[in-house]
Amino acid sequence: MDEPRRRTHFLPRTRDGRIAVVAFVTLFSLAMPPVTHALFNRAEPWILGLPFIFAVLLAVYVVSIGVLIWAFRRGV
Amino acid sequence: MEPWVVATGLIFLYLLVTIVLGVVANRRLTVDMEDFMLYGRKAGFVVLYLTVVASFHSAFAFLGSSGFFYAHGVGFWAAGTWTVLVGAITYVLGTRIWALGKAFGYITPADMLADFYESEAVRVAVAVVSVVFTILYIQVQAQGLGYIINVASDGRISVEIGTLILLVVAAAYLIAGGLRAVYWTDVLQGIWMYVAVWVGALVLSYELFGGPLELWRQVSAERPDLLTLPGPNGFFTPGMWIGMTVTLSFGIVFQPHIMIRYNTAIDARTLKLLGATTPIYLMSLYIPTALVGLGGAIVMPGLDVPDRIFPELLFSYVSPWLTGAILAGATAAAMSTLDSILHANMTVLTRDVYQRYLAPDRSQRHYVAVGRLIVGGLLVVGYLLSVRSYDFLVVLVTLSGAGALQLMPAILGVCFPGRRTLTGGGVVAGIGAGLAALYVTLVLVPHPLGMHGAIWSLLVNAAVAFNVSAFTVPPSPETIERVHGEVERFVYGREE
Repeated sequence: MDEPRRRTHFLPRTRDGRIAVVAFVTLFSLAMPPVTHALFNRAEPWILGLPFIFAVLLAVYVVSIGVLIWAFRRGV
Repeated sequence: MEPWVVATGLIFLYLLVTIVLGVVANRRLTVDMEDFMLYGRKAGFVVLYLTVVASFHSAFAFLGSSGFFYAHGVGFWAAGTWTVLVGAITYVLGTRIWALGKAFGYITPADMLADFYESEAVRVAVAVVSVVFTILYIQVQAQGLGYIINVASDGRISVEIGTLILLVVAAAYLIAGGLRAVYWTDVLQGIWMYVAVWVGALVLSYELFGGPLELWRQVSAERPDLLTLPGPNGFFTPGMWIGMTVTLSFGIVFQPHIMIRYNTAIDARTLKLLGATTPIYLMSLYIPTALVGLGGAIVMPGLDVPDRIFPELLFSYVSPWLTGAILAGATAAAMSTLDSILHANMTVLTRDVYQRYLAPDRSQRHYVAVGRLIVGGLLVVGYLLSVRSYDFLVVLVTLSGAGALQLMPAILGVCFPGRRTLTGGGVVAGIGAGLAALYVTLVLVPHPLGMHGAIWSLLVNAAVAFNVSAFTVPPSPETIERVHGEVERFVYGREE
């Protein structure tokens, strides 16, 4: 195919962009199998009155949102 | 005053407010397609935030998610993954869609994809997928609305009449005020549904258990199977977890009522802030529904239809006034999605079908008038689909959640410049193969090897699209340069 060649947009080019992507993907992988089903799949120990799986996933979701907000503030 | 009078009265009061908003929006409307269909591309953060979250969360979020927690336990907390992912998709992909829409005047997803791939076949395929797989949501939401008003009136208003009333109200304010009316009512609906779910869940948990923490303890003591994966019925396997995450994030974002919203943002910064913060609302709405569903499994076990757990608890344990206000919130959740889908289907049919193929050179006033007529037609179709039973609908509803997901390779090909470009032929072949695979893996052999059918269909779609693209004609270098050059300038502020 005779096409104009461009650098891929699938890989971030700035330092802040790389930090945001790596942080988000790492956190997101914590909320996906096999981590969810192998490591987080229990009610104990309870955290702040919540079962372990619910509390840990809530923490992962909140920090993931924090990464998005950080990226926004850094202009990524 | 009897509870059903209070509950039904509050719902009708809520409907009256939405009609007033539609009338006020009508006075601000100009006879212009972009104003009628895209809010003039001037939506600010607050309005856009509330319309996106209200459109994303439907009757399912209010009633169905409680039912999921009730039947399958804490596994539905996977909802956090797809709501967070929706934010990231909006941040990265939504802003690119916005930039291209602003630069080249795109209104619908088909506008963007047909322009880039230089293919009328792509336009038709995308328009068909957009309409077929979302028009069924009209049926789902309308039936949910009929059910809510039937429950609120204690059976005095039938599901059919309730469905008709609420469909007519939604169509009326859409016809009157276009997308502006939808957005303004969505603001009200977005706030009302969020407050209603939280208040309802907290009141129930204090009334029945002495508070949320005690509720969790009792669930652990009496139904520990609800607090682990894959749940009492074995539903939340790893494959289902991944499949639901992909389907309910990308699959919903690629539906026209969400993609069209990206084009309405006033600027890219607004859309980025939207992406960074929408997961706060979307994810946290499932915390109270977890309390309702799991608590309901303790105090009211054995319901035939788990989705009824929230209204059943309200009518049994909460005052009529609060029950009415909360059910009005459930009405808001369903109507905010219903009106958005009515609008999106109207826009696709007017723009991609009528204007493109039937009457290309008519005035803006003409297209707005046709759009209003189409809303009327969709109202009739939606009502008939809601009150009648068709066998093929059962199949289509099964497929609908993952239908829009088939647009993923094509959209990524436009928004993410890379070393290879898909072709129009590849995109159409991929969509066709993906839909066929979806039918096989959701209907004929549901979820093979424990993996959600949507993932199988997406893999087939991508493989076919890439392979067919290898030996079909790509878009012209000028078009690739124009579109990908715009993406490059938008993301990195310069041309390479």
